[in-house]
Amino acid sequence: MASGNMKDIKRRIKSVSSTRQITKAMELVASSKLRRAKQRSEAGRPYFEAQYELLAEIASVKKDFSTIFTEPREVKNRLFIVIAGDRGLAGGFNSNILKAVTAAHKGDANMPKIIAIGRKAVDYFDKRGYEIVAKFPYFAEKAKTADCMDIAQLAVDLFAVGEVDEVEIFYTAFVSPLVQTPEHAKLLPIANIGTGTGEDLGLINYDPSPEAVFDRVVPKFIMSMVSCAVVESFASEQGARRTAMESATDNADEMISNLSLVYNRARQEKITNEITEIVSGANALE
Amino acid sequence: MTPFKLQIITPDGVFFDGMTENVIVRTTVGDKGILAHHEPYVAAITISKFKVMIDGNYRYGAIASGVIKVSKDKTVILAQSCEWADEIDVDRAVRAKQVAEERIGHYEKTNDNKNLDIAEFKLKRALNRIEVSKMR
Repeated sequence: MASGNMKDIKRRIKSVSSTRQITKAMELVASSKLRRAKQRSEAGRPYFEAQYELLAEIASVKKDFSTIFTEPREVKNRLFIVIAGDRGLAGGFNSNILKAVTAAHKGDANMPKIIAIGRKAVDYFDKRGYEIVAKFPYFAEKAKTADCMDIAQLAVDLFAVGEVDEVEIFYTAFVSPLVQTPEHAKLLPIANIGTGTGEDLGLINYDPSPEAVFDRVVPKFIMSMVSCAVVESFASEQGARRTAMESATDNADEMISNLSLVYNRARQEKITNEITEIVSGANALE
Repeated sequence: MTPFKLQIITPDGVFFDGMTENVIVRTTVGDKGILAHHEPYVAAITISKFKVMIDGNYRYGAIASGVIKVSKDKTVILAQSCEWADEIDVDRAVRAKQVAEERIGHYEKTNDNKNLDIAEFKLKRALNRIEVSKMR
């Protein structure tokens, strides 16, 4: 094997090692971000649960409980809140959730309106001519719950004035650090929340009325759902990125070891060749 | 006074979980004081100050919009945000007030009612924080 080939192999080893350095670093960053995201999602849980319980309790005060937020309507226009990542290199994370969105409105007469969270979602829907109501690129990592209020308020307002008849959220559920699945959930109208039995709960005194309190809680409930979904998607993104980068690092390791093997073999062959040449040269002189 | 269990829960976690003798909050229908053995009661809370009596002393705090729910075994306040008077970041509140005022001026000119509402909400919240921070 010629020495030019060896130089090529050496160059390749070098380039793979530097790629490996990057993937390894991204893997570590993703794991630490993942840890923080998990803490965040746990902190928000009590608020979310208490709110759900409260809404369920109010809704079950009487049999005919109904406000504009619970009444089902004929669905003409839908609003999708879509949460994707800001960056790529996270395995199938972004494409899976965006594919789920496309699949969800197949066969609808009207294109859904979109609230896009994450740069990848903004780019995707921009390019395909969707009607984007609001864009929130670079949002998920630093999002505070108060920031999610803007999104929730927007969705609630659109729903309240009848511009949309249904609000759905698309996020990626964090099943485990290795498994993340795209999910969607209906935010509005709020269905199946109360059993409507009205048993003994009717003793609670609502000031000024159950409906009024319910309607005040709804935007905050939507906010905490959005915030939960954002945090969970962010955790999923980090999980997906970590897995992807881990396997990239493993692949790089394998490539490096294969290449070094080839390189060493070539080096040895070259030395053997040289020795043979010297020996045969010396023999010829005798 | 008989103490009872109070929980204050915000989106960032459980803010307070302990015993209290008296809670006073401002609901949409007026100020409301809760003592032990209060009847089951639910009301929405506006942006306001609140006070909680712990071991005979009142502790003041700022609350931004929420719900209070009194049930037999405990009282729960669900708040969008909540701080004790001595924990309020006054500089931040003052900055938020200025930003909100500028925005209100801007949106009033452009007749953007939706954003005007949001800015007004933020202004109210900032003013409330500034006021409460003086009660530390």
